[in-house]
Amino acid sequence: MARVLIIAYGNPMRSDDGLAWRAADALEGKFSSLQVEIVRTHQLAPELAETVSRCETVIFVDAAFADAMGNGSPGEIRSAPIGVPQAASRFSHQLSPAAVIALAHQLFSAGPRAFSVTLTGQCFDHGESLSPLVAAALPALVARIEALVQQLLSFKTPPACNKA
Amino acid sequence: MKQGSSIVIDPVTRIEGHSKITLHLNEDGRVEEARFHVTQFRGFEKLCEGRPFYEMPSLMARICGICPVSHLIASAKACDSLLAVRIPPTADKLRRIFGLAQVTQSHALSLFHLSSPDLLLGMDADPATSNIFGVAEKNPELALDGIRLRQFGQRIIERLGGKRIHPAWIVPGGVSEPLTEANRDAILWALPDALAIAERTLEWFKSTMERFREEISVFGNFPTLFMGIVKKDNGLTFYDGKIRIVDASGHVVADDLDPTQYFDYIGEKVEPWSYLKSSYYKPKGFPDGVYRVGPLARLNVADRCGTPRADQELAEFHELQRTAVLSSFHYHHARLIEILYCIERLEQLLNDPEILSKHVRAVARPNALEGVGAAEAPRGTLFHHYKIDEQGLIRWVNLIIATGQNNLAMNRSVLQVAKHFVHGNRLTPGMLNRVEAVIRCYDPCLSCSTHALGEMALRVQLLSPDGEVLDEVARP
Repeated sequence: MARVLIIAYGNPMRSDDGLAWRAADALEGKFSSLQVEIVRTHQLAPELAETVSRCETVIFVDAAFADAMGNGSPGEIRSAPIGVPQAASRFSHQLSPAAVIALAHQLFSAGPRAFSVTLTGQCFDHGESLSPLVAAALPALVARIEALVQQLLSFKTPPACNKA
Repeated sequence: MKQGSSIVIDPVTRIEGHSKITLHLNEDGRVEEARFHVTQFRGFEKLCEGRPFYEMPSLMARICGICPVSHLIASAKACDSLLAVRIPPTADKLRRIFGLAQVTQSHALSLFHLSSPDLLLGMDADPATSNIFGVAEKNPELALDGIRLRQFGQRIIERLGGKRIHPAWIVPGGVSEPLTEANRDAILWALPDALAIAERTLEWFKSTMERFREEISVFGNFPTLFMGIVKKDNGLTFYDGKIRIVDASGHVVADDLDPTQYFDYIGEKVEPWSYLKSSYYKPKGFPDGVYRVGPLARLNVADRCGTPRADQELAEFHELQRTAVLSSFHYHHARLIEILYCIERLEQLLNDPEILSKHVRAVARPNALEGVGAAEAPRGTLFHHYKIDEQGLIRWVNLIIATGQNNLAMNRSVLQVAKHFVHGNRLTPGMLNRVEAVIRCYDPCLSCSTHALGEMALRVQLLSPDGEVLDEVARP
């Protein structure tokens, strides 16, 4: 199993919601597959807990919404560590990144370090192309992930798991 | 209690799609009517018009992220009819393997991820903990088994189709690539663990049934017809065969019906309060022709499974009632027996000497202007019906989906549960959960049944006789 797992998730048929898949395409081949594995998925399901449990670090890449409170603007990139949540939300089909980590911890006694890297989208309508603003920001997103991976791989031993 | 009231549950949780439930109260405050509303619309049948017929399997797979393989199979079979070809025997077997893997992972999702919180933690459990985390806390082995069994099915789909969701490996005339020896061996290697999971989950489920006697008695426990595809020898199948219908007493009402002539015996009715159409058996009319499809119906219409362990369990299942097994609570039980069957049948097919043959696709131009494909999806019988023009462009599409065929029974089930458990003009979590849980027995896929983009949720409304909303519960 690779040391770093990148989980790119979203719906590539809903315009900017598929930006993580585009980032995954751009990252493909930049790292040794022995060190970095890239998974593309529409949503985070419980099965990912097992995959996550076998790596040192997980990076979740997703499109973010600009919320009504004015947090986040289209094209904005955010990156943050993910802590283990104290309480999980109700599950239907999809989990949050923190819930996947929590499930890996609960079922597999695994504590991978986890990060979230998001790019705020502008258009989530049906469509397979990115909005111009998000397309322009995509190289910066890829560079941010690449830099994070380089930094993580520079650790000789796995860093401690994030705390909530 | 105000005169004339209703309860609304909106959204319904732990199901596949977006819906709400309305419970109408009479002047005595008792539940008089219940409606399960599907509130999403997509209209795939119209979207496909004008597209080349050979695109249909890939387009149809996009209807659903849970059971795309079922749509691929039914669509490809309809296209086989348009080509008027007989697909190579190995392609037939490979499609069956694909379908069995899909049923396994879909049933695992339904049972372990969506319904096991009810079964393990109880119907009155705190909604905050009635989820996969609560299951993992109380019975980690069960939660792990769910994850591993679903992975087992998904990995077969990935090995054959190249990806877990929306694979395009099944094509008109067969499949696009043969099975490699390495992939066959990898799947065979994983079979014993999957079988062990199915066996111990079935034993666990049977040990819990006594705790749910009250739910079994009112969770869709009423007479209906049951419909499913069976093999020539009346054995269980998911891929091909004849339509068989039995009544509540277990007697065969119709046999040897041709699935491609479904329109002769299946009618569909549109209700103004839901985007989900209601199917009925035409000879009995609407609504008397209510019938159920899916795991419960398949085991009621099948005489045998054709694999050793599943046949033992089917015999025990048929002992539950001298008539057909009527309570929809037993969908869960049937689902587990089907998982057992799928794993056993996978082993038989993978050990077939022809399974690695390279001849997996028949190539032809369209030779017919109309084609029907039918198969058993995890949730029940699925029909795809296409008409094309001389250029091979789609002119008309009709899809009949399992959840629509269960719509009448689901509505009656909600009413039965609500009459038994809902009292007064306020909803308690236990009442709400049982109303939801009876729907989960059917494992409805609302994305499929409305061919719609899915959001996951449910809403329940309690309405007075004059339409006033007395109580409303919504869950994200």
